[in-house]
Amino acid sequence: MQTPSTASERSCPSGEWPRDELEDLLSRVTRPGRYVGGEFNLRLKPQARPRVVLSYPDVYEVGMANQAVQILYAAVNDETPGVAERAYCPWPDMGDLMRARDVRLWSLESQAPVAACDLWGITLPHELTFTNVLEMLDLAGVTLHAAARGEDEPIVLGGGPAVADPWPLAAFFDAFFVGEVEGRVAELVEALGARTRAERLDQLGRVPGVWLPPRSAADAAGPPARRQVFTEFARTMPVTRPLVPLLEAVHDRAVVELMRGCTRGCRFCQAGMWYRPVRERPVDLVVEAAARTLAATGCDEVSLVSLSSCDYSAIGEAVERVRALRPGLRVSLPSLRVDSAAVRLGRFGAGQRGSATLAPEAGTQRLRERINKGVDEAQLMDAVEAVFSGGFTGLKLYFMLGLPGESDDDARAIAATATKAAELARRVSRGRARLSVAVSSFVPKPHTPFEREAFAGEVVLRRRQRLLHDALPRTVKAAFHDVSGSLVEASLARGGRGSDAFVEAAWRNGARFDGWRERFDLRAWSTAAASCGVTLGEPAMTDPATAPWREAVDPGVDAAFLDEERRRAEAGLHTEDCRRGECGACGVCGGGVEMEVVA
Amino acid sequence: MTRAAAESRPGGGGDAPGTYWLLWFERSGAASYVSHLDTVRALQRTFARAGVALALSGGFRPKARLSLPLPLPVGAAGLDELAVAEVADGAPPPARALGALQAAAPPGITPLRLQTCAMRPRPRALEARYAAEMRGDPGALVAAATWFAAQEGVTVERVTPKGRRTLDLTRYVGDLAVQPVPGGAHVTFVVRHRHDGAARPQEVIDLLAGRAGCASVAHHLTRVGVSYQGLPRDASSGGEE
Repeated sequence: MQTPSTASERSCPSGEWPRDELEDLLSRVTRPGRYVGGEFNLRLKPQARPRVVLSYPDVYEVGMANQAVQILYAAVNDETPGVAERAYCPWPDMGDLMRARDVRLWSLESQAPVAACDLWGITLPHELTFTNVLEMLDLAGVTLHAAARGEDEPIVLGGGPAVADPWPLAAFFDAFFVGEVEGRVAELVEALGARTRAERLDQLGRVPGVWLPPRSAADAAGPPARRQVFTEFARTMPVTRPLVPLLEAVHDRAVVELMRGCTRGCRFCQAGMWYRPVRERPVDLVVEAAARTLAATGCDEVSLVSLSSCDYSAIGEAVERVRALRPGLRVSLPSLRVDSAAVRLGRFGAGQRGSATLAPEAGTQRLRERINKGVDEAQLMDAVEAVFSGGFTGLKLYFMLGLPGESDDDARAIAATATKAAELARRVSRGRARLSVAVSSFVPKPHTPFEREAFAGEVVLRRRQRLLHDALPRTVKAAFHDVSGSLVEASLARGGRGSDAFVEAAWRNGARFDGWRERFDLRAWSTAAASCGVTLGEPAMTDPATAPWREAVDPGVDAAFLDEERRRAEAGLHTEDCRRGECGACGVCGGGVEMEVVA
Repeated sequence: MTRAAAESRPGGGGDAPGTYWLLWFERSGAASYVSHLDTVRALQRTFARAGVALALSGGFRPKARLSLPLPLPVGAAGLDELAVAEVADGAPPPARALGALQAAAPPGITPLRLQTCAMRPRPRALEARYAAEMRGDPGALVAAATWFAAQEGVTVERVTPKGRRTLDLTRYVGDLAVQPVPGGAHVTFVVRHRHDGAARPQEVIDLLAGRAGCASVAHHLTRVGVSYQGLPRDASSGGEE
């Protein structure tokens, strides 16, 4: 492991990377196109300042599909005097080579060292990318611990959904932005104009939504940062000139975010609580955005994305009008709602032999009510019938194991549901149907009604996976989420103060790309857990009953609402979507933050 | 789907004059580091962004009809590369389309000129000229090239998905020239494409590096031009027929 150094030690004389050295590195790694940029709609502002580098802590192809980076990239470059560049986590072959040659991480646009930027914004999608953050800091030559960073080093700012509990990364970030950043980009860039690092941090700390972690164990944490809601969402054109990679990316389609937030109220879902309230863009804006994005990307498919696009109030009209933009245009909707009408809409996104995904989440009605899924078996079977009678030839059913209140019988019931769906599918599609089941492990997340529930644990999850596997018919393909990864996720999702030491220990033991099954190294995490006194699967360095994440983050959703939802879960009571029923008093609305739906 | 059926549907193409376009382009910079298929995709996207619809193949998963007759290695630039596209009905005149393609292309891909073909062209590469820079002892690199020129056969081994294969580089490589420059040498050579295959540029670089005892890295590897069989007159790249 190289010793972190300061920016002044490593800058190239010209501020740009020596071409020969880069070329030499690129000739020795897999997929060199990951490290050079050159995308469609690239913005180059070589003289602009401040220089912001945006990162997604995973490999380039995955990071390029992330919408947060696209939004920030466009906002900084197009709406501020500053420049935004990008860097992604080098794949281990490149990382090893960079260390061997003492080459520091560079940005794709200017090929200048990331460490020489003014602000390094890293979006944090989930816990299994945390070690990649440390890997990137180290490869960039940025001092790992924020408290030890020098005057010339960049301010490292974290954002994204995993900031819901920033403690596991608190030591490595100078600041965190909590919530939706679009409305605060100009203020963040302006704060970088201050003379010294301390002044810049002070200015940043005044921007609403920014939380500055304590710099030593003795320091008290500052007041929690209020999650920011982008209240102009419904009146703002989404990114219509996104970066389009030359390499084949994870998703190759134009994306239009038609709605933000979801108030269905699934009690396990962190995003459903985190992105409240619902804000819908008007259909005219969605159609215009789709037309512009298609022209700018050259895509032949557009995806109307949100947490639950089928719940968009005018989804039928939006799909029809976007389809009419171009003959043969495919319009896809991610995460189809479990009902037949939604499935029929989803058909427009499939090719001639596409497949659909439905998420009943649980195998019994009792458990679906407990998680507030609001779907019964009749609706599920209607949706399955609509899938295959509508021309889809494949269907994936998505379930979770380890939900609160789950028993072994609930696990077996998933097999019964899948079997029934498979029989129906075979009947409707005259034997051509492909049905598969994807099963993940439930991990309790902060700021949800289940935030204080226990994680099911390795033994229970493995037993139920086996029960389910044995009970499924051979005709149904099953894919199970790796339990080992869930153990780590469960420890980090609700980590307490000091849990950053656990992440650092795992990284020093070699943990990287933990979200990639073939790269996940349980031994690195087990050793780290032993050395830090953490039990894998248990929240690291805390008792979840104390909800330490609330010391750092005020999500806007009241704790009393979450407690009430937990009580209702235990009683098996359904809570209505506040868009259609009465207000659930979650506490988000008010003070200029309101639900906005298309009439 | 029969060919007649494919040609009868909108955008199905055919052999009408102007349907086939030869697009000559340069690939450089960041675009040099993408694969052959990614380059094809980037060009298809460039056409779409420029508003030029490509004809589609038939079948369940129609594909845009655009191909590159001679793939460029990953990491190599190309000064005058060829793409063959079949455009759908209603495409703009090539003179107007070229500007639109240039505006729509990503950094590193530069459309240079367009030609139309009345008949489907079936280009086959005959020779490709390459240039590169190598770091190392200039004298040793010159000596390596001299040694190669004096050989009647130089066998190299290639690992392929079907196993190991040996080939005689002297059959496929000609005009190897090494010019000393400070810290290394400027290397040029021609790869002949025969019916039984061709040498890879990296195999030439590896051979020279092995003889000269220097790093087997080609800096600024560039395909300068390609001569093709099966193209209309004046259609070869790099100024050679």
